[in-house]
Amino acid sequence: MSDPDFSIEIPIVKMSSAQLRAISTEMNLGLSTDEMSRIKSYFENEGRNPTDVEIQAIAQAWSEHCSYKSSKIHLKKYIFGIGKEKIVAEGDAGLVALDDETAISFKIESHNHPSAIEPYGGAATGVGGILRDILSMGAQPIAVTDALYFGTKKMEGFPSPRFIETGVISGIRDYGNRVGIPTVAGGIVYSDFFSPNVLVNVGCVGVVRKDRIRSSAISEPGIQLILAGGKTGRDGIHGVNMASAEMKKGKEDITTVQLGSPIIKEPLIHAVLEANEKGLIYGLKDLGGGGLSSVVGEMLESGGMGGIIHLDRVPLKESSMKPWEIWISESQERMLLAVRRENVDKILGIMDDWDITAALIGESQKGKRLQIFFRGKKVLDLGTEFMTSPILYERPYSRLERNVVQFLPKQPSDFSRLLLSMLSDKNIRTREYAVRQYDHTVRGSTVIGPFSGIVGREGPTDASVIRPDWNKKVGVAITHGSNPFYSHTDPYRGGMAAVDETVRNLISVGAEPLGFSDCLNAGNPEKPEIMGEFISMLQGLHDSAFSLNIPFVSGNVSFYNETGRKRIPTFPTILGVGKVRDIEKSITPDFKKVGSSIYVVGIPTTDLGGSLYFRRLERDGGRVPYSDPRVLKKRGWNLLEAINENTVSAMHDVSDGGIAISISEMTVGSSIGASIDLSPLGLRTDFALFSEPQSSWIVEVRKGGEEKFLEILGEDAILIGYTHGSSFSVTSGEGKVMDVGIDKILSKWKKGYQ
Amino acid sequence: MEEGIPMNRQIKVAVLTMEGTNNEEEAFLSFKHSSTSPEIVHLKKLENKIKRFEDYDILFFPGGFSGGDYVRAGAIMASRLRSTLLKDLEQLVESGKPVLGSCNGFQVLVELGLIPNVEGEYGIEAALAPNISNRFEARTVYLKINKGNCLFLKDFIDEEVVKLPIAHSEGRFVTRDPDILKGIIKNGMNVVSYSDELGRPQGYPWNPNGSEQNIAGLCNKQGNVLGIMPHPERVFHYVTESDWTRTEKREGMGSRFFSSAVSFVREKF
Repeated sequence: MSDPDFSIEIPIVKMSSAQLRAISTEMNLGLSTDEMSRIKSYFENEGRNPTDVEIQAIAQAWSEHCSYKSSKIHLKKYIFGIGKEKIVAEGDAGLVALDDETAISFKIESHNHPSAIEPYGGAATGVGGILRDILSMGAQPIAVTDALYFGTKKMEGFPSPRFIETGVISGIRDYGNRVGIPTVAGGIVYSDFFSPNVLVNVGCVGVVRKDRIRSSAISEPGIQLILAGGKTGRDGIHGVNMASAEMKKGKEDITTVQLGSPIIKEPLIHAVLEANEKGLIYGLKDLGGGGLSSVVGEMLESGGMGGIIHLDRVPLKESSMKPWEIWISESQERMLLAVRRENVDKILGIMDDWDITAALIGESQKGKRLQIFFRGKKVLDLGTEFMTSPILYERPYSRLERNVVQFLPKQPSDFSRLLLSMLSDKNIRTREYAVRQYDHTVRGSTVIGPFSGIVGREGPTDASVIRPDWNKKVGVAITHGSNPFYSHTDPYRGGMAAVDETVRNLISVGAEPLGFSDCLNAGNPEKPEIMGEFISMLQGLHDSAFSLNIPFVSGNVSFYNETGRKRIPTFPTILGVGKVRDIEKSITPDFKKVGSSIYVVGIPTTDLGGSLYFRRLERDGGRVPYSDPRVLKKRGWNLLEAINENTVSAMHDVSDGGIAISISEMTVGSSIGASIDLSPLGLRTDFALFSEPQSSWIVEVRKGGEEKFLEILGEDAILIGYTHGSSFSVTSGEGKVMDVGIDKILSKWKKGYQ
Repeated sequence: MEEGIPMNRQIKVAVLTMEGTNNEEEAFLSFKHSSTSPEIVHLKKLENKIKRFEDYDILFFPGGFSGGDYVRAGAIMASRLRSTLLKDLEQLVESGKPVLGSCNGFQVLVELGLIPNVEGEYGIEAALAPNISNRFEARTVYLKINKGNCLFLKDFIDEEVVKLPIAHSEGRFVTRDPDILKGIIKNGMNVVSYSDELGRPQGYPWNPNGSEQNIAGLCNKQGNVLGIMPHPERVFHYVTESDWTRTEKREGMGSRFFSSAVSFVREKF
């Protein structure tokens, strides 16, 4: 059935196991011998050999990246069922309800492997890909987020951390800014964990009217398939297979990384949303990993349909492309629109109005077979079910019994000096050098951005708030949570801490948490200890989210972040969204008035494992702070009530560096100092100041609101001082232990940035 | 030109768009919330004569990266306009109708020679060069207003200091030669200038891009064409100002640019 000029037959039916293995390597398929044997027996039944198009198509669909074959069983067991009733829809992204009319569509995913090879292009197309996922649900993107994890040491045979960091930040900037969606939240973590395995986790949030939510499943015959957007080229071939293996020194193939073009994407978003608003779209899906092969297969299979595709109708960048290359190319800026026959011309008209290339390439048919033609000849004829059902693995795993050795540090002799050195730590000080290169105000709807406070001396915020509709008061709060340092020591508690941080951040701006998306980063799942960590992490995520009854609506898994002996910790980055009922009540961390009371909600801890304090002492081990989701829920939702009652004027969560860093950051944007007395906490000064208790906040209570505030928070709130003067001073049972000028705090925190 | 607009007639605004422009949405909404009837108009429709400049009372050039800005900021959009629509555009400007360009829109207006136009011949007299910091800058800046005859500044108090967001990598205003700069100052065309919170001229970061004479916004002599690097359309409501949680103010600073233009059209046309 193939023509040797453009498609060849692969004679696997007669091959031995060794030959099958060789073919998998030679054709860059990334399939195991078991998987190859399964393909062999399928074609034995069909009574023929596969074409190269067919075998490439199967390899795409069965890659770890596309199929989640190592994680699916565990994801189902631990996190898929939580808070089901709150999920409005699921697909390329997940949706929760913002109000009666509107849903929030959001997702976070990794673009780790491409960014390690080609940082600029990898990060840029990461933003492009996540935008398309949101658009695929019919939603208008309103914000982009990014959580970046950079290495600190140059490793032989790999690019320097500086080169990677500059490339990634520029890639996000040039793509995000050009496409006109604000980049509003995220984080940057520096650690040797990430040399050379850089992690780029990119999120996107959108909104859609509920009656305009679209799915990708095609469940009727005769639905027309239109490919719209960028042309198809040889860029990004075998990207998913590359992302499903460990990285090897100096061996990575740059053609696996796609090339992005935000100037095609920007009008594509407009055009797709216009068509959707007019009710012309039946279903849609973005072309990401695996290209047309994955998208067509999944759209048809999920609706129980088959279909026919004419590959020669696909608009190409290079006319000499072979059908298998066209079929699996991961060229960017493409969407596949499923459209009823009578709407085809209207859709093509809208695309033309926006100067977008679009072509009708096929349609759905009854029966569960997909057939592909190229220049009149059939090059693929497969059952859609077979194509999209890989072997699911329950890989062996082992759990390391960790003996926690608690460690009691010597009290520091100079707290002021220690605080100042922590403030200029790379993981604490301002990220403005990166974040101010991202446009965070475009669309004119950013109510709280990444920084707040007096213009020219802003401090950090915990979450961003976007107003999706200028006629309403409701806002969408957006934030991230992750802590690879905790996860390195304890993947279970690390998972819980990521949920805790996400919830804390949302509460801090006055938002009720609605949903999570999880990007799970790990090493090679074929190693039992990594699979063991992966399962512990999922248990942590489960235990927190289940207790809070907040769903994970979308996400992805990135395995194989491993190179030689170096591997990353097994940890999640969570993207969380929340609802601010009245944006005019949202809260920022900068102190507002002199003379108001400062409360801590929460109690410092003696568990210092993974804390900034321990890291600065270069101390590994120790118990990681525990997040009790019941406590989180009680304190968090009480604080929301306190905010709603107008008793709170500033609030900041307690995170890396403890109370000391939180209060310092609250002085940064306000130019108001704080006078703190630690004696009500009854702990050693260093524990009180620098431990990182979970589910904790620092709150500036509005004058006159104290009584109401205490009535709501009860014993969870402890008065520790007042906003006062121009320094951050601390007394404990031992007398005055610290006194640092707020201008000094500002200059250390802004170190190197103007 | 029409003889005055009755109150019940909607003021029509064209917000121009082409691939790579963004900000259309917030500009559209800002005009809509200023009681006008805005429309997002693709350049293609003007080129194909499906739409005409003369159908509109106000013209807005949005920010973004028109055509990708891979050549020079604003150059691609300007050259497209130049090749087919320059005459219509010049006519609209000469009729006195308000034309506002923010960020990339400012860059396009300069590339078209519509501002500063000191010599009155629509030549390219200036450019917006890469920021001295050599990077994209997204922050809020303080600006001093020198109203002059600029119609977009009618609702401001002269010498008032205001705050607006910027987000650009090419915003350093430079003139072709010193005489152009002299002409700008002499004619009072430098109507919006970067300053500190007290309105005093300062260097970086107060002047975020290194513009000559701290120029942030520039108006033509007639007062009807304003190009401005900061984004009034992004702070139409006070809740999108970066420091709103610290202030008692309940008016979005950007809204005054729109209300000024709308009342101008109501009175004049």
